[in-house]
Amino acid sequence: MKSTQYSEKVLDHFRNPRNVGTLEGENVAWGEVGNPVCGDLMKMYIKVADDKIADIKFQTFGCGSAIATSSMITEMVKGKTLDEALKVNRQDVADALEGLPPIKMHCSNLAADALHEAIKNYRGQKKGKVPLPVVRATKGPAKEIVGEKKFLKGVYYTVDDLSLFKDKRVMVLDRGNKSLETALELTKHTGRVIMLTPAKVISSTDTGLAKAIKQSDIKIIYESEPLEIRGSEEVEKILVHDLNEDEEYELFVDAIIILK
Amino acid sequence: MPYFRERFGNPSSLHGEGDEATEILEECRKTIAGFIDAEPEEIIFTSGATEANNLALIGYVTRNRDKGDHIIISEVEHISIHNIAKYLEKNGFKVAKVPVDQYGKINMQKLASRITPQTILISIGYASNEIGTIQPIAEVGALAREKGIAFHSDAVAAEGLVPLDVKRDRIDLLTLSSNDIYGPQGLGILYARKGMKLNPLIIGGGQERGLRSGTENIAGIVGMSKAVEIMRQEMTEEIKRLVSYRDKLIKNILARIPKSHLNGHPADRLANNAHIRFEAIEGESLILALRDEGVSAATGSACSSKTLEPSHTLISTGLLHEEAHGSLEFTFGRFNTEADVDRVIEVLPPIVERLRKLSPLYKAEEMAT
Repeated sequence: MKSTQYSEKVLDHFRNPRNVGTLEGENVAWGEVGNPVCGDLMKMYIKVADDKIADIKFQTFGCGSAIATSSMITEMVKGKTLDEALKVNRQDVADALEGLPPIKMHCSNLAADALHEAIKNYRGQKKGKVPLPVVRATKGPAKEIVGEKKFLKGVYYTVDDLSLFKDKRVMVLDRGNKSLETALELTKHTGRVIMLTPAKVISSTDTGLAKAIKQSDIKIIYESEPLEIRGSEEVEKILVHDLNEDEEYELFVDAIIILK
Repeated sequence: MPYFRERFGNPSSLHGEGDEATEILEECRKTIAGFIDAEPEEIIFTSGATEANNLALIGYVTRNRDKGDHIIISEVEHISIHNIAKYLEKNGFKVAKVPVDQYGKINMQKLASRITPQTILISIGYASNEIGTIQPIAEVGALAREKGIAFHSDAVAAEGLVPLDVKRDRIDLLTLSSNDIYGPQGLGILYARKGMKLNPLIIGGGQERGLRSGTENIAGIVGMSKAVEIMRQEMTEEIKRLVSYRDKLIKNILARIPKSHLNGHPADRLANNAHIRFEAIEGESLILALRDEGVSAATGSACSSKTLEPSHTLISTGLLHEEAHGSLEFTFGRFNTEADVDRVIEVLPPIVERLRKLSPLYKAEEMAT
């Protein structure tokens, strides 16, 4: 389905999105759905007063209809009670936009889901249950990655000469300060350094180091772990497990550094 | 036009009109052969590049199955090659794919390591139709010839932008389309080096030396031949012009838009291709916004594809799905002017900025810098 088949109303909301932004403070909750892996990410913020949505804002990474549905739903539910807002579903949003191309109905019409998440989160807070992020990062000895021992070339447990990695795509597993330092140093030799960490943030006992990592060109993949190293004779790709979405995907690299 | 109205003889007929059509057909065959340094009898007219790719791969491997059942392609082939390879796999052939580096170029060592005694065909596209990276075709040709393996190259993305020479590059089978050099649609050719044995896919009256039956599309063939003539005259100057546009666009976008990166090879790339990714925004929304400014571009984003899958080429260069989503492809052609390039340079930065303000991904990145 071509994007040219968007309705005028979709295009209007895409060109002039309503209620863009974030909310903070008392009686504010937010919901997030989607995932960059599938193309869309939506964050919906609500501020509640008298059980009604007093204010609503959104941020969306996605295609034209992802942006339009987010914008549309903010107009539809502002002023409504939480129960009324919970009844607004994907089809209602699509109808309000004078229809969406069929192929976009599922992938980019997530605005209702994001709103429902926000309401659920708000009600969860009210009951005094602040949803804690699930920490899945495991400490202790790292388990062996499938295929790790198979490769003579491309798997590194120690790194002495970084110039070996000139212009290579290098994945560095987050194994504490030494691995962070190595990743940072690598950026002088190649434009493609990927850091894979099971954590939600890069943390370090050395706060300066953690900050330097964030400011660098290192591509950080959070909440993920390597499942398998694949290739013919050399390392060619890594099967990555996205812990948050419980999805697996292949990432093409030339080398992987697993400091012990 | 006369080939639709007065001169519509069937080359297979014995009457006068038929003779004239045969003459025209052979004249065009010669012109097109000259374009790639081939012999006229090595040119097979088809209904387009897709059919030529089918004839090359399916025609060759089914005819030569007694020699082996193994085929090598690259990860960055055009979708038609990927799908033909899938079809062949279902029919008992084995397919190996050569990975590419971060610039989309195949690694010769990795290609060599995939060759087995059963390998009968290597198919590597001359250049990527998406990211514009030009492959080391002469090296692949030399390796294949040395090993006695047939070498096919889909050159549709490169035709008119790179001087093609099947002898120099030791190519055995080569695909070209008419409409990619401004000829009419519905026509392509397969070059098959003398001695290459193929099975036909379309069987009938035995036209095109029995390799592609069916009355020839004379009007289309004349059109392609004319397009080739024009291309030969203009190509050298045209490439220079397109390179200057390409380089101007790339340089300006990368300089003016933070967190933007070039996809594909910095030097070995097609003259008409600038492929750039922008962090934290999605390609289809970029295209929509550009269209409002009168600019057409393409994207590697899944959101604008029929399958909702991101570009396999971009993924093969090592990009994450989210990065492939934020990629934009600009190509230039005969009818573009420098003013078009300036227009893109003018309108793109504010569009990227506007879309990033909407993006939950950008905030985190902004704070980091």
